[in-house]
Amino acid sequence: MGGRRTGQILLMLAGLIAWAVQFTAIYGVTSTLCGRGWADANLLGLEVVPMTILSATLVTLAATAVALIWSFRNYRLAKHQPVAAVDDFVSHAAVLINGLSIVVILWHGIPAFILPACA
Amino acid sequence: MQSALDPAGGDAQRIYWLTVIMTVGGILIFLLVTGLLLYAIFAAPERRAWLGDRRTIIVGGLAFPIVVLSMLLPYGLTVMRDTDVPTPGALPIEMVGEQYWWRVRYPADQERAEFSTANELVVPVGRPISVSVTSADVIHSFWIPNFGGKIDMIPGRINRLNFTAERPGIYRGVCAEFCGDQHARMAFDLIALEPAEFEAWRVDQAKPALEPDLPSLVRGRELFRMGGCGSCHVVRGTEADGQFGPDLTHVGSRRTIGAGQFPNNIGTLAGWIANVQHIKPGARMPSYGSLTGEDLRALAGYLESLK
Repeated sequence: MGGRRTGQILLMLAGLIAWAVQFTAIYGVTSTLCGRGWADANLLGLEVVPMTILSATLVTLAATAVALIWSFRNYRLAKHQPVAAVDDFVSHAAVLINGLSIVVILWHGIPAFILPACA
Repeated sequence: MQSALDPAGGDAQRIYWLTVIMTVGGILIFLLVTGLLLYAIFAAPERRAWLGDRRTIIVGGLAFPIVVLSMLLPYGLTVMRDTDVPTPGALPIEMVGEQYWWRVRYPADQERAEFSTANELVVPVGRPISVSVTSADVIHSFWIPNFGGKIDMIPGRINRLNFTAERPGIYRGVCAEFCGDQHARMAFDLIALEPAEFEAWRVDQAKPALEPDLPSLVRGRELFRMGGCGSCHVVRGTEADGQFGPDLTHVGSRRTIGAGQFPNNIGTLAGWIANVQHIKPGARMPSYGSLTGEDLRALAGYLESLK
């Protein structure tokens, strides 16, 4: 029971954790490289700052999408069978949190396509 | 008077429309939410029931803000990207904020000599300008509301602001960071001239000061020399080479004195010399109240003649 509840909570928070990972990767790499004047740093011919933002966004987006699909499946299961009130709440919250996390992760990735690396 | 609501350049135009959209949008959303709130309080329970529907909450509480913010974010980022962009071939001008005035320097290029002036930023219409700003004492902030954003002037650091004046005119710039007692009296004029007029102005400003041609003006120059004014002020072409205060080589050609405080004429110049500490307490220049009326007129007349 305890393990299942932990899994439910982790699934509910998966989007927020992915967002935190994306946020840390983007701000950490961008502020370090821009602060040291390495805005044009290249790795295998690719600019590090925009590639970090793009890859962090894609990876966390994919992870959150998986969490959303999974939590949606749990939500539908909870809808069609009698469950405890707390499970009903967690299944609802998981869909909402993971859905909103996708939006927020996209918002954090958009500047890479519009602004220069160290704007 | 300066106004950010009367944009005279591309950057100011972009910031203006961003402000209008955000303000109008914010007001409309505020009215909508207030209306719904009043409806929820005063409408009959059966009529207001739809406000608690899941669909209303999802559309009004989730979809609407997500759609609005998803449109505003790229728009705001685009404004940010297109504002204050350095342009190759821009005219470089240097400005130094000092308590409580502005030192303005036009660097030399292949054809023109460098020169300095004060409290007046003259630019050609249509040509990108790159202003490098710093401070000689405390933090100031350079802001011409009609031309866009403001930028801090920080001692030991050079910041840059890029803009283009799109129509001729006289615009007011101000210090936008509290810098001391006379912060509110630290303004300057931005004068946007047609390119030919600007070139003529630049040629005139690079010339040394005019020789006085009247006995009273010669007397004024002598008073300027004997009074030690040249230890703080430079008048190119004379022995006055002080760097502490504003360059007075062409002070008579400026529109205002005291960093945008008074129209420039012999009366205000005389008043300024005699009683600067009453007019602008805390300014670095002492009052020269011991001059006789005749000497004061001669000295002010000499300065006014420096066109």
